[in-house]
Amino acid sequence: MDIRKNSGVVKWTLIVLCSSFLVVFLILPLIYIVVTALRSGFQAYWNSITDEYAIKAALLTIEAMVCAVVINTIFGICAAWTLTKYQFRGKKTISTLIDLPVTVSPIIAGLIFVLTFGRQSFLFPFLDRFGIQIIFAVPGIILATVFVTFPFISREIIPALAAQGTDEEEAAAQMGANMFTIFRKVTYPHIKWALLYGVVLCSARAMGEFGAVSVLSGHLRGKTNTLPLYIELLYQGYDFNGAFAASSVLVLLSVVILALRMWLEKRGAKEIDVRK
Amino acid sequence: MSMENKRYYLELRGVNKKYGNFQASRNVNIQIEKGRLVALLGASGSGKTTILRIIAGLESPESGEILIDGKLVNNTPGSERGVGFVFQSYALFRYMTVYDNIAFGLRVKKKPRNYIDDRVHELLKLIDCEGLEKRYPNQLSGGQRQRVAFARALAPNPQLLLLDEPFAAIDAKIRLELRAWLREMITNLQITSIFVTHDQDEAIEVADEIIVMNHGEIEQTGSPRELYSHPQTPFVAQFIGASTPVENYQRFRFFQSLGDDTTAILRPEFVSVFKKGENKKYTESAEEGVVEDVIFRGSNLEIRVRIHGVVLSGNRGINDPVVEIGEKVDVFVYRFLVVDGKKIVRLDNSSLREESIII
Repeated sequence: MDIRKNSGVVKWTLIVLCSSFLVVFLILPLIYIVVTALRSGFQAYWNSITDEYAIKAALLTIEAMVCAVVINTIFGICAAWTLTKYQFRGKKTISTLIDLPVTVSPIIAGLIFVLTFGRQSFLFPFLDRFGIQIIFAVPGIILATVFVTFPFISREIIPALAAQGTDEEEAAAQMGANMFTIFRKVTYPHIKWALLYGVVLCSARAMGEFGAVSVLSGHLRGKTNTLPLYIELLYQGYDFNGAFAASSVLVLLSVVILALRMWLEKRGAKEIDVRK
Repeated sequence: MSMENKRYYLELRGVNKKYGNFQASRNVNIQIEKGRLVALLGASGSGKTTILRIIAGLESPESGEILIDGKLVNNTPGSERGVGFVFQSYALFRYMTVYDNIAFGLRVKKKPRNYIDDRVHELLKLIDCEGLEKRYPNQLSGGQRQRVAFARALAPNPQLLLLDEPFAAIDAKIRLELRAWLREMITNLQITSIFVTHDQDEAIEVADEIIVMNHGEIEQTGSPRELYSHPQTPFVAQFIGASTPVENYQRFRFFQSLGDDTTAILRPEFVSVFKKGENKKYTESAEEGVVEDVIFRGSNLEIRVRIHGVVLSGNRGINDPVVEIGEKVDVFVYRFLVVDGKKIVRLDNSSLREESIII
């Protein structure tokens, strides 16, 4: 049976099933968010999203996101390079450890950091002496965000680098190119699209992170509240208008990222097609 | 030029290289004169590519000396040894145009822009790829890719060109053309070149000199003709040219035994197969065999004959009288290559000597 030519009941049942699933679980809630946010009129909506604390929360979210992307990009490239270009003992272990943050519940991740850097930790006196505050402060939020988005970029680059092999780098090195030139001219073009795609995934995940950040933040309004935490705070305080208005901002950011992702996929596929 | 003041362009002295427990090169000594085109021939895993990579500076040996133009280069980076390297799969930069690929080595060396432009166009002309400079490697044919890789290696004006299996990635028909092209190109440029191959035909056809490698060691070095007619080791005798092993060569008439534990190798061109009565010259010394198979080879016929319990291959011309399968024929063996331990001894049919004395 040629499965692609089957235009019968099965095909349409599946299409309807998928579509209704998406409508019920995705489209409806999204519409509901927008509708609820605007229920008390546009002025109230505008007031909610331009609230001092809302803006601070949004800025902190973006700050944590940018930090996570930058740190994970650097780490991701280093890790991917190490895992694909060198042979060494313990390579498998490193590769597995990179994936750990995805399997560990974010709440646990948060607790781990509280235990590592909090008052009961042996590290605390050192940190305290140098005036470094991690728990219930911005560094803690960034740390938590970096942790949960850890594998996103490296996992995207590793297959791209592995597929490329080391021939071209070797050829460049043989002609006398230094490491930086080799990376810029030979390696980077290979991983460009994978890297950008990883950045997009990492951003999306960083923006929405709740669990780990929640444990580490301390919920100081205007100081350590990220957008998701702020939304929860409003929601718990029965301020539905405010909660949904802030949510709509987060949704908007997600839509932007989704659009970016689609554009990247298209561009990337096109270019890879040409240069393979 | 006498032997004393002969200056080798490339010399390897006692080079050893290990990967873990695997000895990839064992006491390798190589001497190559300027302008020669040399093949490093061996089966896969014989250590030929390792040697090439050591010369290029992509690997460093555990011990031994590498001399290029009389200078010790063990501690000189590969890029400063004046060596061009053509990789097996060409390793062209996929995200660069043909122009940028060829210009890469010159840009790394910070040559002036005008110079680079002139040099790239000169090379494009040389490899007959003018007009392709804006293409990407995947938009080229296999042959064009190889030539671009060749041009890229030549761009910085190396004095020594190294090619790793230069024809492996090309289909059979174009391969023949490219062999001739490469040979002509290298001869015209008078650049000392070493290429690695596992294909004996390729080595014989292209190279002035062949270095046969086996298990990380050099078995024999010589011109294709020398290796063919005077193999010094059993490996070379079997690796170069077609060969049939003959355990009981002692049973053939006019060949004295060189010892009980010796065996022999026989080449098709050492065997003549005659129809009964056709043979005039060697009537007395030929032996009778039975034709087992006749295989058409285009320019000649391969006749497989059973004699003394072994099946030998001999050639007959296309225009010679036809022999049939099952026919009794006269077989005359001119020579065996007798394997005596690690040595090869050429054993000629003793009746040839007697006849020549009579005549």
